[in-house]
Amino acid sequence: MNYFLLKQKGLFDTSQTPPRSQKVRRILTNPMFGFILFGVIMIVVGFLAKNKIVIPYSWGSALSLTLSYAIASVGFCLLMGYSGLASLGTGGFIGIGTYSAYYVMNAWGLPFILALALCVTVAIICGMIVGFISLRIEGIYLAILTLGLSEILRFVFQAVKDSISLSSFNLFGVIQISRTNAIYLVAVMFVIIMIITNNIINSPTGRAMLAMKNSTAAAQAMGISLMKYRLLAFVICTVYAALAGTLLMISVGYAKATDAMGFYAMITSLNILAAVVIGGAKSIWGTLVGTFIMYGLQRTLLNQVQFFIDNPVVITFISGILVVLVVMFYPGGLAQLAKELVGKIKKLISKIKAAKYGKDV
Amino acid sequence: MAFFLNTIFGSLVSICITVLVTLAITLIFKTSYTTNFAQGVISAFGAFMAATLINKAGVSIWLSVPVGILLATAVAVFIDMVIFRRGRYVNAIGKQIITMGLMSIIIGAIPLVFSITKLERIEFPTFLSDVYTFNIGGGEVAITANAIVCVAITAVIVTAIFVLLKYSKWGLSVRATASNEFVAGMMGINTHIVTAISWGLAGALGALAACMYAGQTPLTSTFMTDYQVNAFLAGILGGFGSFYGPIIAAVIIPLANNLMMWIGGVANAPDLTTWTRVIVYGLILVVIFFKPNGLFGKRTAKKV
Repeated sequence: MNYFLLKQKGLFDTSQTPPRSQKVRRILTNPMFGFILFGVIMIVVGFLAKNKIVIPYSWGSALSLTLSYAIASVGFCLLMGYSGLASLGTGGFIGIGTYSAYYVMNAWGLPFILALALCVTVAIICGMIVGFISLRIEGIYLAILTLGLSEILRFVFQAVKDSISLSSFNLFGVIQISRTNAIYLVAVMFVIIMIITNNIINSPTGRAMLAMKNSTAAAQAMGISLMKYRLLAFVICTVYAALAGTLLMISVGYAKATDAMGFYAMITSLNILAAVVIGGAKSIWGTLVGTFIMYGLQRTLLNQVQFFIDNPVVITFISGILVVLVVMFYPGGLAQLAKELVGKIKKLISKIKAAKYGKDV
Repeated sequence: MAFFLNTIFGSLVSICITVLVTLAITLIFKTSYTTNFAQGVISAFGAFMAATLINKAGVSIWLSVPVGILLATAVAVFIDMVIFRRGRYVNAIGKQIITMGLMSIIIGAIPLVFSITKLERIEFPTFLSDVYTFNIGGGEVAITANAIVCVAITAVIVTAIFVLLKYSKWGLSVRATASNEFVAGMMGINTHIVTAISWGLAGALGALAACMYAGQTPLTSTFMTDYQVNAFLAGILGGFGSFYGPIIAAVIIPLANNLMMWIGGVANAPDLTTWTRVIVYGLILVVIFFKPNGLFGKRTAKKV
């Protein structure tokens, strides 16, 4: 029998299975749904770009680059927005991923999963080192120290092997992944990372990190171990950055350690920091938008305009101005801006309703 | 012995550059409470002006370098007056990000203003490439005129700034602002002027350092980044608590680099020279780990 008929007859029974509309809403409001939908959209866009249907060919690599960097940004968002720690070592940590991808898959010819294992292991060790340092040194000093650590990693990379490359590899012996179809792998990894991050944020671990950010003394008084959560925050951030490095190596194909604008340079760490701040340090969707502004915007939309192709520096100039404006006038980032806009629209709608139907509606 | 002295004399110019950049960064750290990531590109902006005047317009070096320094000063003062003064109550990380935004603004602005992204190195006057040799301990020791001039200029400037900081009224107001900006303002110090002068001085010192470095290498918008990172590390190695700590550390770091090179040469291990910077930076991190306030810093108490 139909739901409405039941309701009309007064026979509505709560013990029955919930109606379909409610079921659909429950799926729609689940945060997992948003992440998976986003991943599916990215895969579809990547497919269209690869076959040059509607979407330009260059978008595939641009999006896989942006999503790879977004993984590093999401980790940084956990570190800065939730744990209140600053780090400028992202560039060096990305390098861990690129080098493990190169050595495991290109030089030694081993499968992809071992590259992931190696990069996660090294990243955990590096993250623990930084975490222990963070127990003694705080604030700006810590940021400079991590910058120094990142420089050390860069010098190690230079001394070991300056330029590395990776053309294609076999994923689980089934698919041949190269630069052209890296977007599929990157999108899947990104969705997994987003779901994990969301779970961390909403778990007791995330609450403990927030408490630690707001006041270390109060958090300690509540029985939160500073050492445990600081180490954890740095380990997560470092592992994410290293994973991002592996995916970057797959989607770009080469890396050079002496390059002043390359993966491991100071500019990468600063750009990731800026992406997190522009997007809003406490929102992982905002972080994604921020990363898109820093890395994706130029490579996708703006490259369709002739003016920006002729003057690529204008984009650097404008993104700098944007960073300064956001920090000075919207400390909560674009996420705050979006929230305010939604609030204003809701107010407007209720005003219109009040004018139309009277105040009590 | 002679080889050892040669290594030290060979690193004199880079010591001078590091000292000047460190002094600039310390001045801004003390008065604006932030690490200025834009320091390197502001300096590069001034050096680009000087190099353009010399290479393109053929103006003499004695005129174009001061013009470049003045331009960098103006840019730095402008940044302080227009941006930093309004962002005074942004938190510490926010300020760092503002300077990072300024960095990308200037990286974008350099090609727009000078319509070129890479310039040839500045040709210094010929007398600066003279080499003086003398005998010490049975070996030839060589020092270039360029190194002597750089050391003289740096020594004069650093001494002058330290004397001013210690004895002048301006120095007193800088030290007051450094210890607490808000209270200094209440005591009748015009902190706006203090920070503006600090930024201007920092811009000038940076541009001078960039011009010294431009004699050795081609100019790009990020060519000062290595020195900037060195200066940051010198700051925390010496401890930002004092003015002299970072300067001493700024002498130590390039010296340690070259000493490692010297040890590599003596031990006849060419591998050691490629790992020099890894070892030096690693040592710096270890020292900072055991002395978090720096070599010369004081322990500061924090209120809960």
